[in-house]
Amino acid sequence: MTKHITYTGMIWLLAAQVVVILPFLFDLPIWLLPVLLFAAGWRLRVLSGAALQPGNITKTLLVGLGVGGLLLSGLKFPSLDAMATLLLLGFAFKSLEVVQRRDAIVVIFIGYFLVALHFLYSQSLGAALYGMVSMVILTGALVGVQQAISEFSAGQNVRFNLRLAVFMLLQCLPLMIVIFVFAPRFAPLWSLPLATTQAKTGIADRMAPGDIEKLAKSGDLAFRVAFKGKRPAQHDLYWQGLVLNHFNGHEWRQFARDYDVYQLKTALLSHYRWNPKSVQVQGTAVPYEAIYESSGQPWLFTLAPTVEVEGAVLRGADYRVMAQQELQAPFLLKAVSYPDAQRDSVLPEYLRTLALGLPPTGDARSRTLAQQLWRETGNPQAYIDKVLARFSEQAFAYTLNPPTLGERDTIDAFLFDSQRGFCAHYAGSFVFLMRAAGIPARVVVGYQGGEWNDAGQYLAVHQYDAHAWAEVWLAGRGWVRIDPTTAVAPSRTEQGLEAAVQAEGTFLADAVFSPRKIAWLNGISQQLDTVQYGWRRWVVGYDRAEQAALLKNMLGTFSIERVALLVAGLFAAIGLFWLLVLGLTQRPPKEALEHRLYRRFCEALAKHGVQRDVGVAPSTFAAHAAQQLPALAGVIREFTQVYEGICYAPTADGQNATRRLKALLAKVK
Amino acid sequence: MTTAAPQLIQATLAQLNKVIHGKEPQVQLALTCLLANGHLLLEDLPGMGKTTLAHALAQVCGLEYKRVQFTSDLLPADLLGASVFEQQAGRFHFHPGPVFSQVFLADELNRATPKAQSALLEAMEERQVSVDGVTHPLPAPFFVIATQNPQSQSGTFPLPESQLDRFLMRLSLGYPEPAAERALLKGRNGRVLLANMQPTLNGNRLKALQSIVPQVRMTDTLLDYVQRLIAYTRRSDVCHLGLSPRGALALVKAAQAWALLQTRGHVLPEDVQAVFIAVAGHRLIGRQEAQGDQLARHILSKVDVVGSGNGNA
Repeated sequence: MTKHITYTGMIWLLAAQVVVILPFLFDLPIWLLPVLLFAAGWRLRVLSGAALQPGNITKTLLVGLGVGGLLLSGLKFPSLDAMATLLLLGFAFKSLEVVQRRDAIVVIFIGYFLVALHFLYSQSLGAALYGMVSMVILTGALVGVQQAISEFSAGQNVRFNLRLAVFMLLQCLPLMIVIFVFAPRFAPLWSLPLATTQAKTGIADRMAPGDIEKLAKSGDLAFRVAFKGKRPAQHDLYWQGLVLNHFNGHEWRQFARDYDVYQLKTALLSHYRWNPKSVQVQGTAVPYEAIYESSGQPWLFTLAPTVEVEGAVLRGADYRVMAQQELQAPFLLKAVSYPDAQRDSVLPEYLRTLALGLPPTGDARSRTLAQQLWRETGNPQAYIDKVLARFSEQAFAYTLNPPTLGERDTIDAFLFDSQRGFCAHYAGSFVFLMRAAGIPARVVVGYQGGEWNDAGQYLAVHQYDAHAWAEVWLAGRGWVRIDPTTAVAPSRTEQGLEAAVQAEGTFLADAVFSPRKIAWLNGISQQLDTVQYGWRRWVVGYDRAEQAALLKNMLGTFSIERVALLVAGLFAAIGLFWLLVLGLTQRPPKEALEHRLYRRFCEALAKHGVQRDVGVAPSTFAAHAAQQLPALAGVIREFTQVYEGICYAPTADGQNATRRLKALLAKVK
Repeated sequence: MTTAAPQLIQATLAQLNKVIHGKEPQVQLALTCLLANGHLLLEDLPGMGKTTLAHALAQVCGLEYKRVQFTSDLLPADLLGASVFEQQAGRFHFHPGPVFSQVFLADELNRATPKAQSALLEAMEERQVSVDGVTHPLPAPFFVIATQNPQSQSGTFPLPESQLDRFLMRLSLGYPEPAAERALLKGRNGRVLLANMQPTLNGNRLKALQSIVPQVRMTDTLLDYVQRLIAYTRRSDVCHLGLSPRGALALVKAAQAWALLQTRGHVLPEDVQAVFIAVAGHRLIGRQEAQGDQLARHILSKVDVVGSGNGNA
């Protein structure tokens, strides 16, 4: 048996390589594909005799070119992207070298590895399904490179290999499920500088006028929430992300200094940490679980105040819940909130200072207005009502396309000049007016509302649900949420952004083909989203905690011995099942190809009326058949001659002879 | 030598067919048996030309030929020879018997007692003779052609299976074709022609031809077929006694020689089939009515020629 790969095998390999490399092109340099096609194309030309196998110098030059391209592609070293690109480059170039079967097997095994590697980039349902397709094609190629000669036509060959591959992989499926469910889930032993190119999406840690409306133009999913009990009313769904305390005259930020994630973590663990005693639980509990899309940011969005939460998260003095690090993969959180609970009945001095800070100068007109209104009202509640009334009574407009306000005195510009703004304008100026009158207040950013998916029984919150509102601290009531946007556009919280800007027609104006704009497409997209949610929740979201809960449920008490016993039992059951299947369905070994072709030849002649008895030797039969069927005599004689040649006097060129048999067989039919 | 082999064989066959009319297949098989270096058992009624065939074979091969008529009072010493005391020399001197020849015709083998039969059969297998503790090698080539009358005839001692097994082939000549018989009646007597027959071979040439036989190619596919045949004789319920490994070896050797006779460098299933009845017929014992050649023919019709299984699945 020759150990070299055939032309068909090489085409299989090339197809598998293209399939494996394609999904990486979304995240990694696109020129990897031409490199692969070039390398494989060269190899195919070598196989068909049109080109020479490249020498060592050529290969070295090519590798040098590839590495040069890698260096010029602007990837950071070391990073996952750079390493993955290097591996893919090797993968692409390897096809140039694939001469023997073992080379092909190396390529295919790297292919399997790459299929797994792609899950570092995407864990969506689509990626998983694509991964399965890749596995089937890779396995098909593994079958393909083992074949020396095939009795099939190209189509039959594809069908046969794919069927075999699917059958092989289906056999692995039970093992895969057992391993997925029961294999211990360890935290990674080391961490790679992961996914450096991933864009940060969603709410940022600062807010200037105009920031949120940019976000509101995106139809991407932010997170999904399933409620365990009754779903709160739509206008109460304020998903708090982070609190912006500091105003510098233009931008709202969390603190006076800019914290990166690690500094923020330190703050949340020290002076800005959550104090469990600060909240007085009252009202109904809202338990829910949320799955956040990977955003490249650590923010989680919860219904304030969150009292109980499962999982390793950070919590802050402002009732925020935050992940330990930026979300590079979907994140599952289980929490219980008490929307009616009273927060900070006694306001700590540190928070009070934060909630009253204003820049020393700027926005003079607004400050004057605040003093004037405060003089008119005299108590906080009346003052708040007055400010909100001013928004609704004057010609303020809620718009996705507000005018730009410049760099300085933006509050003045909005309150007195443009009077057209998005939620950030209203929340920012409201808090400014509160602070100017000495009432502790702060801006909260997050999402408001969400789209209820009735089929999946969950709430989908998209980027266009991004929102900013205010919290005001009132003596005796603690922090009270006030959304000044509702004063201008009441429909925003009841029916969402789409209704609020309907007259303007700006909702997702840039996304021409958004399914939300076409009713029946919207239905399908909801169904699809339901499936995606199930995938996120039950497969991607199956983490250590979920596993522990499941094992506890199944085994009563959790112990290593029991788990080991259960897994061993399942493995044994699967093994036994396949043994049984093999025992029941095992067929005698197939005959060699030439014999099968000869039997088909005999069947074909039988249809012409000439039957071969089993004990009749081929040439005896040929003489008889040629006599009976003079029209076919030549073909019959030649077929028999070639067949006897293969069987009883084989030459080195068996493949050609078999091919000739096939061609002759076609003539008999 | 190798290139000349086909011509030599054709010339030999032509010579033989001149003497024995209308029996080409049997003549070919007999020559095959000779080429395969095996012994031949001719079983037929008296007067069918057995002796003529044996004689012609010896003559055409240029071999030394001796004939012994087996009778019930034949003793082993009559065949093998005896040590006789020579008074002048004062010692025993071995006088070789008729078995010391290149072609030995044992006429009516089954008329001799088992004792005499076994003396010959030992010589056939060992190709040497031991008398009084001294071993005397037989000449090479050594070729025994035994004839026997059908077992049903009176006054015969049937050969046991173990001894039948030593004959590579058993042939029957059968009645001649009418045309051949007419020629015979017209006076073209074989025995007369025999005297004028030109030898085409000699001992060395024959040995050279015999040495080519094992080189005739047998592929796995062919051996699969042979093994299927053998497996069938052992497994199916038509046979009481299947083919022994010696029988199997005889079959492939005969098939190789037959292929050489057809001037082919490889063995085809037809070659196996051509020699199968002659090789297996006397070795098989049927369970049912079919026996011998008829049983062998039945087996050939039942075992598939095509395929790659060896029958032991």
